[in-house]
Amino acid sequence: MGAEVLIGLPGVVRPASATARVEVEVDGRALALTVVGAGLACCSVELMAAALRSQRAREAGILPVPAGTAGVDVLVVSGTCTDVLAPALRDLHASLPEGTPVLSFGACASSGGPYWDSYSVTKGVDQLVPVDVYVPGCPPRPEALVDGLRRLPGAAS
Amino acid sequence: MSTSDGVPVRSRGVISLVEKNCTVCMLCARECPDWCIHIEGHTVTHPADEVHRRPRTENVLDRFAIDFSLCLYCGICIEVCPFDALHWSPEHSYAGAAIGELTQERDRLAGWEATAPAPADRDA
Amino acid sequence: MSAAGSLVDAVRSAVGEGSVSVVPGFGPVSVEVPAASWTTALQAARDAGATYADFLTAWDELEAGLVVVAHISTPDAADHVLLRTRVPSDDPVLATSIGIYRGLAWHERETHDLFGVRFSGHEPLEPLLVAPSLGLHPLRKDVVLASRAARPWPGEKEPGAESAPARRGGRRRTAPLGVPDGWVQEDA
Repeated sequence: MGAEVLIGLPGVVRPASATARVEVEVDGRALALTVVGAGLACCSVELMAAALRSQRAREAGILPVPAGTAGVDVLVVSGTCTDVLAPALRDLHASLPEGTPVLSFGACASSGGPYWDSYSVTKGVDQLVPVDVYVPGCPPRPEALVDGLRRLPGAAS
Repeated sequence: MSTSDGVPVRSRGVISLVEKNCTVCMLCARECPDWCIHIEGHTVTHPADEVHRRPRTENVLDRFAIDFSLCLYCGICIEVCPFDALHWSPEHSYAGAAIGELTQERDRLAGWEATAPAPADRDA
Repeated sequence: MSAAGSLVDAVRSAVGEGSVSVVPGFGPVSVEVPAASWTTALQAARDAGATYADFLTAWDELEAGLVVVAHISTPDAADHVLLRTRVPSDDPVLATSIGIYRGLAWHERETHDLFGVRFSGHEPLEPLLVAPSLGLHPLRKDVVLASRAARPWPGEKEPGAESAPARRGGRRRTAPLGVPDGWVQEDA
């Protein structure tokens, strides 16, 4: 399973796209997972840290460059989703290949987090898109992201 | 200082519980700004005997759960516990496939106590 | 180069000595002016050299009305002042500042979103942050965080609650912080 990582940032109408790559070591193998990061808030900084770390490791030769194929493997929603932004997130998910797994990164994306009582916050992106893995944290470390990616259905294959 | 996977040993990964220290005072559940700590307990009354001349009531912990899908890792619960029953642990691998799996019960919280670092030696 | 306090003097001479009150406190000087003199005060400060408007916002003082505050300073930040005024909560109207400080336009839109203050001369006050469908001004103190009142508070239970119900009037809090009296449903 190797592919390009696409970090998509939802704009007002359409998600913009930028690429990033996150490597996950599973049983001694380095898997490159494509991560469409809906970088909504502070958690996306940890997502960027994870992506940069693996990019540096790749450049330093520590991690092998996998033979990537184009495509999107997982949508990582990181940060607080407000009710106003919810349609953009749904559009982003709809624009990805069908069956793309979704990883909810951090407390806000999982349940609304510390803002569960807010008038404007969606209490968990699972109200908008089907979520396969929930990673707790505020924000979760890059290592927690790697752990979450490992738990994705099909990641071990 | 780092753990085996390079995470700093004092990083705020998860909150661990020392069950025998907990007196079910409910302070952590009250002070949590996120309302993510769920505690249930019951009282047990020990009758008076030769050693204890008066009956004593004791709180017994039934359920101690932290909902990490809400937790903002502020540490207020750890700071407010008068009995040092809660500690930070650098453990970070407890993601789940369903939102309910992020609520950790007392057995798992107690299990993480082994990974919690010892307090810094202030006298050294 | 303006001497410290000259902004306050400029506001005083423009609005009238008796109408201006300096609010004691730390940090920048807070000067309160009547709502009718809002633009006069701002213009006087601008003419005295305060050409940088930092922010404009408000807070709710319940019966005492809504306080609208603007932080303006000279570009070198040598002299700065918190200009404030008061508008009634039931009809919060204030003259707009955008004729004097264009940069406060978004601040006024936000203050309208969050508090309902109407800035005359700035209509229509396009929503900036709050979805119009929300139908309320969230930062006003009479808007209660309903989620906190509706959800049972985990700290409410005492150990052995069935056998020993929580004592009312004791030192222990029986309602979470921030929930007004009368919102928590008492157990029958």
